[in-house]
Amino acid sequence: MTAFMLALLVGVLFACGAYLVLQRGQIKLILGLGLFTHAVNLALFGTSALTRGAPPIVPEEMGGAPQGADVLFASYADPLPQALILTAIVISFGVTAFIVALVYRRDALTGSDLAPGELATVVNTSDPFAEFTLRMKLPDAADDYDILQYELDEVYDHPEAEREVARE
Amino acid sequence: MSLHPTVITLPVAIPLLLGAVGMFLQFMQFPRRLQIQQTLVGVGVLVNLAVTVFLLVFVLNGEPVAYQMGLWTPPFGITVYLDALSAIMLVMVALLSVLIFPFALATIDSERAQLGFFPMMLFLLMGANGAFLTGDLFNLYVFYEVMLMASFVLLTVGGTPSQLNGGIRYVVLNLVGSMMLLLAAGVTYGTLGTLNMAHIAVRMNDAPYLVQAMIAGLLLIAFGAKAAVFPVFFWLPSSYHTPHPAVTALFSGVLTKVGMYSMYRVFPLFFPWLLNQWQPLLMTIAGLTMVVGVLGAFAQPTIRRLLSFHIISQIGYMVMGLAVAMTPNPYGIGFGLALAILFLVHNQIVKTALLLGGGAVELEMGTGKLNELGGLVRLKPLQATVFFIAAFSLAGFPPTSGFIGKLGLLEVTFSAGQWAIAGVSVFVSLLTTMSMIRLWQYIFWGKPHRQPLTQRRQTAPNYAWMTVAPVIALVALSLTLGLVAQPALDMVQTAANQAIDRAAYVKAVGPTLTEQDLRIAPPEWGLTAASQATELAGR
Repeated sequence: MTAFMLALLVGVLFACGAYLVLQRGQIKLILGLGLFTHAVNLALFGTSALTRGAPPIVPEEMGGAPQGADVLFASYADPLPQALILTAIVISFGVTAFIVALVYRRDALTGSDLAPGELATVVNTSDPFAEFTLRMKLPDAADDYDILQYELDEVYDHPEAEREVARE
Repeated sequence: MSLHPTVITLPVAIPLLLGAVGMFLQFMQFPRRLQIQQTLVGVGVLVNLAVTVFLLVFVLNGEPVAYQMGLWTPPFGITVYLDALSAIMLVMVALLSVLIFPFALATIDSERAQLGFFPMMLFLLMGANGAFLTGDLFNLYVFYEVMLMASFVLLTVGGTPSQLNGGIRYVVLNLVGSMMLLLAAGVTYGTLGTLNMAHIAVRMNDAPYLVQAMIAGLLLIAFGAKAAVFPVFFWLPSSYHTPHPAVTALFSGVLTKVGMYSMYRVFPLFFPWLLNQWQPLLMTIAGLTMVVGVLGAFAQPTIRRLLSFHIISQIGYMVMGLAVAMTPNPYGIGFGLALAILFLVHNQIVKTALLLGGGAVELEMGTGKLNELGGLVRLKPLQATVFFIAAFSLAGFPPTSGFIGKLGLLEVTFSAGQWAIAGVSVFVSLLTTMSMIRLWQYIFWGKPHRQPLTQRRQTAPNYAWMTVAPVIALVALSLTLGLVAQPALDMVQTAANQAIDRAAYVKAVGPTLTEQDLRIAPPEWGLTAASQATELAGR
């Protein structure tokens, strides 16, 4: 039963993570990735035998000698998956922090956390005031970098070189 | 000649130590720290190349070497394993880093250098080397993450908007791929109770088909996402054109190829029989990867976007080689894998040459847009020539390594009776040729549309030799591989034989792991013992 509940939980977390990752907006993306990592960590946790009240110490009467997995796991919690989870948590923490920094940087540069191309899609809808409404919603930081122009003809190569050439 | 087995951990230790020292120099305040840092990294890549070449020579003349970290008994500790396949990959990655280093040194702007570009190159190298050397599935995941973290930084250092956009896509899709690898490791531990690759290989023999299929499927998705095969390649073309050209060249030679190496390592070792059972699936993936990659390349308006689609297209050939790796054919059982390895090596060389050549053009002209370039053949005849040879090597024309690789792969697929995929690969070669002609024509032929940056501004740097010399070296290597193919073929044949020899792997890692006879091939082929197959392969 425990194993079934765990499997169900992993599945639900994966589904929610996938749903969030596929949404617009980068905050949802970060949350979705967080759910993904939780799901995988839980799945790893489930790979150890789910025993209650069993320390990860080989009992003395067994003398440390291997006597078959069934005998051992009755009174022994496998510590290895937890070590794996710890490593995985540290790694995913680092990566998540990196993504948060990236999203923050992009937000500061372009004034929007929408992925590129999405703004163009929003503008191309039938609403004639879409662009105007969008511009009204953008924070002031967007003024010094024309995000719509950037979105509509995506800068293919070095924007800095282009700008330098234009300045001449 | 004997070798203390700890030596095989040096390709991980050297970049780690020098990279860490270089990173510390980053935060020190004393004059010329950047020069010291760059010297350190230069020494690092050179020493790494020397060590890996030594290891390759050693392994080619003898047995695979395994080392247990901390001298734990095999299934418990972390195993490091070196055979000819991993040694070839180590040497190739070390060689590419040595050749890309001067390019980066000449072209990286001071802003990126001050943000720690060069130590990150060493960390990337360390992650890749670790992934080549490890004999432990979870450790493989960790080294993948080390490599990816370094690549995230290399991809986004500089922080232009397009880099950040590409970086977010790259990070997210690669993180999902890594999750699949982690899940595969978890499933393996949950079902087989071990993470040591040799031990997994032993226990996989008796595992139920469902377990095998689950692990194989997860590993296929995980490594496929790293190698950018058909349904999971989208991170590559949306990010590879954004960073500095040196970074793109380094990535194309290292990142996707580590994914392919892992497939070559893991599939013949864990479940060689699945390679045959799942051959239609692998063939479909290979064919779609080739076709989608090359058709995508036709629609691309800039040099690096076009070339990054060709990376995907060429990955298809390597998957095709893997699909026929365990097929009995007249040349012996490992011949398909041997040619896949040769093609991998060829592709590392040529792709890096093209991306460095194209990157140099992009840096000197200030743009990579094809319709704004042109007429460069008069300005830069040498660059035009080497780019031409590299482009035709990618397409597979005779005196180059591409010809040998493609001819061999075709020969194996034909003799294995796989007509459909052989036809697709020939067709894709034709399309690749067309695409390469288009690329060369746009850059070098016709009338010049714009002046190089050096002629428009007095302050623009003139890179010249530092950017051309690596490309010349790589093209020379490709021609050498094409003209003197036999030694290379012998080398990859040894590598493939060692890679498919499961019994030898287990024997090298831990003789105590098994009493079983490890079948290299299913009994119905009549090749029960490893020695027989190896003998057949050597014929």
